[in-house]
Amino acid sequence: MLKALLANALQIAFVVALAPLYAGFLAWLKERFQSKRGPSVLQPYRDLRKFLSKDEIISEQATWIFRFAPWIAFATPIAVTMLIPVLTDFPLFFAFMGDMLAGGFILGLGGFFGVLAAVDSANPYGAMGASRTRMVSFLAEPVFIIVFFTVAFVADSTIPYIVQQHWVHPFSAFFSPSHVLAVVAFIMLILAEGGRLPVDNPTGHFELAMIDESKALEYSGRGFALAKWGGWMRFLVLCIILANVLFAPWGLSSDVSFVGLASAVAAIAVKLGLLITLIGVIECSVAKLRLFRITEFLAAAFAIAVVAMITRAFSL
Amino acid sequence: MTHPLVLPTALQLQLNELIIGLFLLTGFGMTVARQIQATLFGFIAQSLLLAASAFVLGVHPVSPHLLALAAVTLVSKPILIPFVLQRLVPREVYSKRELTQRVSITTSLMIALALAVAAYFFALPLLRSGAPLVSVGNVAIGFAGLFVGLYQVAARNEAVAQLLGILAMENGAFLAAIAIAPDFPLIAELAIAFDVPLLALIVGLLTRALHEYVGSTDVGTLVSLREDAGH
Amino acid sequence: MPLLAALVPALKRSEKVVLPLSVLSAAVVFSLVVIATIDVLTLGGVVAIPHWIELDGFGALLELLISFVGMTAALYSWGDLGFGRGTPGQVRGYAANFNLFVMSMLAIPLTVEPGLAWIAVGLTTLFSVLLVSYENTHDALEAAWKYATLTLVGSAVAVLGFLVLFWAMRTAGGDDFTWRGLAAIASHLPPALVTVAFAFILIGLGTKTGLVPLHTWLPDAHSQAPSPVCALLSGVETSTALYVILRLVPVFRSANTLHVNAWLLIVGFISLGTAAFLLLQAQDYKRLFAFSTVEHMGIVLVAVGMGTALASYGAAWQLATHALAKSLCFYASGAALAAFGTRMIANTGDLVGRSRIAAVALFIGVLAIAGAPPFAVFLSEFAIARAAFTASQSFVGLMLIFFIGIAFFGLFGRAIRVIFGPPPAAVHSADQAHSVNVPMVTAIVIAMVPVVLFGVWIPEPLARLFELSSRALQ
Repeated sequence: MLKALLANALQIAFVVALAPLYAGFLAWLKERFQSKRGPSVLQPYRDLRKFLSKDEIISEQATWIFRFAPWIAFATPIAVTMLIPVLTDFPLFFAFMGDMLAGGFILGLGGFFGVLAAVDSANPYGAMGASRTRMVSFLAEPVFIIVFFTVAFVADSTIPYIVQQHWVHPFSAFFSPSHVLAVVAFIMLILAEGGRLPVDNPTGHFELAMIDESKALEYSGRGFALAKWGGWMRFLVLCIILANVLFAPWGLSSDVSFVGLASAVAAIAVKLGLLITLIGVIECSVAKLRLFRITEFLAAAFAIAVVAMITRAFSL
Repeated sequence: MTHPLVLPTALQLQLNELIIGLFLLTGFGMTVARQIQATLFGFIAQSLLLAASAFVLGVHPVSPHLLALAAVTLVSKPILIPFVLQRLVPREVYSKRELTQRVSITTSLMIALALAVAAYFFALPLLRSGAPLVSVGNVAIGFAGLFVGLYQVAARNEAVAQLLGILAMENGAFLAAIAIAPDFPLIAELAIAFDVPLLALIVGLLTRALHEYVGSTDVGTLVSLREDAGH
Repeated sequence: MPLLAALVPALKRSEKVVLPLSVLSAAVVFSLVVIATIDVLTLGGVVAIPHWIELDGFGALLELLISFVGMTAALYSWGDLGFGRGTPGQVRGYAANFNLFVMSMLAIPLTVEPGLAWIAVGLTTLFSVLLVSYENTHDALEAAWKYATLTLVGSAVAVLGFLVLFWAMRTAGGDDFTWRGLAAIASHLPPALVTVAFAFILIGLGTKTGLVPLHTWLPDAHSQAPSPVCALLSGVETSTALYVILRLVPVFRSANTLHVNAWLLIVGFISLGTAAFLLLQAQDYKRLFAFSTVEHMGIVLVAVGMGTALASYGAAWQLATHALAKSLCFYASGAALAAFGTRMIANTGDLVGRSRIAAVALFIGVLAIAGAPPFAVFLSEFAIARAAFTASQSFVGLMLIFFIGIAFFGLFGRAIRVIFGPPPAAVHSADQAHSVNVPMVTAIVIAMVPVVLFGVWIPEPLARLFELSSRALQ
């Protein structure tokens, strides 16, 4: 019992601590691909320390939403972490609190408050970015849902832990179209929801073109640190879902021993490393899509997800 | 005399399923690709997948007909047809982007998806009453490929895109043929393999003539032959 | 032997004498076909490669028609194109395509295996596309494009239909994928598969036959092509596509849950009626004849749909007379085009004054195709109508007469305008006009002979062929 609690806490600590490193690694990798030296991988930690020690300036027109939104953005990925298999492949304490659909909703909650806060600050760029983020999110919803349906068809359940156990059981199922195509659709989804190219440029500073970055535009000091950290954690959580549940559910520890957990940490580091290299390559090879073509991008993801679902549902 | 059904391994079947899933996606890709060159790549990919499906299903238990079909398809479709088209159709046709499709790309994709789903429902009663097949998905996705190709011919305005739509329809029909008639006589397959590049040749010649005499290959705008248009 | 006949036309090489050579080879082919037909009549069938290439009564009839029209068309082409109209390269290309086209058409009745038949039908499209666009005008290219696209789409749909049929045959345990073999196990075929196969094949090959609503390419292609090509397209190509459908009708009939006859009647009447009404508003005299082709295809379908032996006899007869009369019509319209230089009816008139031979040919042609006595088509339509009344399907017979009547008025009215109407106001595109020369005239005369002759007398072998065909349709 205590061990399970310890494992759970370790899981959360893992995600919280690793998120900035993940973002830092991606930034460094992208710069490297472009033949530059790149910032230090630990830079996000230094940024966080800097921002946490600074004062916050809040507009007089802002309401309680503005103050609370960063906390919510920080807390929701943590809540989702408790639902998904990060280090262990048996269900931990809160695993049955909600399934994948609930996980999606919780993440959506964080995004919703972020958008409200952006509008709350009365910054015109905030409102513009907020509406665009909403557009991307609502277009990505059907893809999420269809991927969940596919997964549910295969595993007869939507609890991530159970799905992970069923998904690639006979090895040949690894190549099944429902698997491969669901993974492809989910990767496209991560690019969209995580604010990565080709949907949005995370390193751009041009407010007129910002989609996801505009949520953190008005924040400073602690609020900014929390908002940023929450964003990185959200990205990490999505990647963990992909890596551990959908794509390669191997290498997770089956018990709460030190050796097991350590090897799980190593395994997930490898998997995430591969995934982030893939995302880095994608980001460095495509140009940002024009706004109305984002619908086509997400429609393509939707089509892929639907094909994944129908090949599963009808070919048997 | 019914043929005994020897089943290939599970890995083969899953691989085949993946191939036909990608086949359907390339069909969608061809329908919505804006650039003519992209449509051509989609067709090449689809033909490669067709050959791959025949290969995967024919490797074990070894079926010389299927392997021959795979080889023949491999030569004629992904290789010969693009070769013929590249030679015949002037280069500038390829660099064009089709800016006006009659239906927007997102809607096109949705329609194509709906057609694919409809094809599944269409194929189900057939599968129930027909002889048991090695790969059921081939028939369903073959029908889907046919319908999506048909939609492509209807929805696209460019000459080469319509031609590729017709070829996509035939790809779909042959995907179904892999499952339905795996021992179809070789002569017929050879004849068909010869027939398809010939098709590309002739329609390519026509496209070139269009480009030369009419000035553009946007065949969607050729609507002047009517009863009331006194020309 | 008929195999040889099919291969002979293909060897056309690059000389300026290609067109007369085509005529020669067409004549050779015709004689070979006649010999083969005699064989069929005496032996009951000719077998070259069992299960693949065989010839029976129905097939022989069609071969005769194809080779005859091919011969007259070759003759006409010589006259039309061989005397300076068109560059040598163009003429060579025309001759090559022409011969390949005729060869592919000849191949269709020879095959008993549906797969080969499908390939041959596809080849007929491919070889005729470039013939349709011969003149390389905007309109001709548009017509050729529509023709190519629609028929190739139909062809792809049809191949899936054939595959489903093959599947049905396998399900029923059969192994003989030929017309005969399919008919033998027809009652064991699973109904769902047969229904789908029927639908796909009817739609797919129906596009090539010109059944409404898939006929939209027909008026364009059959009017924009050079006249001898039109004669081939309208006269025999649509008939060959219809032949393949008709060959499968006995198979579909025996698969009990389908009401094949009802469907054939419906589709036939829709084509017949629509064509009849469309005829009334045709502006271009070649389109007029193209619509008439759709109408006649409808008549044949209706006749087969009636289901009786008498009606099937009439259907075969109708196919024959239509081929002969339609080719004459197109040769005549080619001559008229030579005289006027334009296809629009509004810009023509007084053909009698311009070119006697064209006027006579057009007059006879129109009367023949509209179904007036004493020409061949009248007899076949009469036979079909009589079959309708004797089989107590009077409603069918009445509708038939009604629509044919409408078409008659449409055709005749327009033709009168062209032949006897007032001379055209200004001399539109007179530069396109050219004289009608000897080979063209010869072709016209040769084409006219059977049309007139068979209006009063049917030679015994021909009647035997009709009978064999009707048996094949039962």
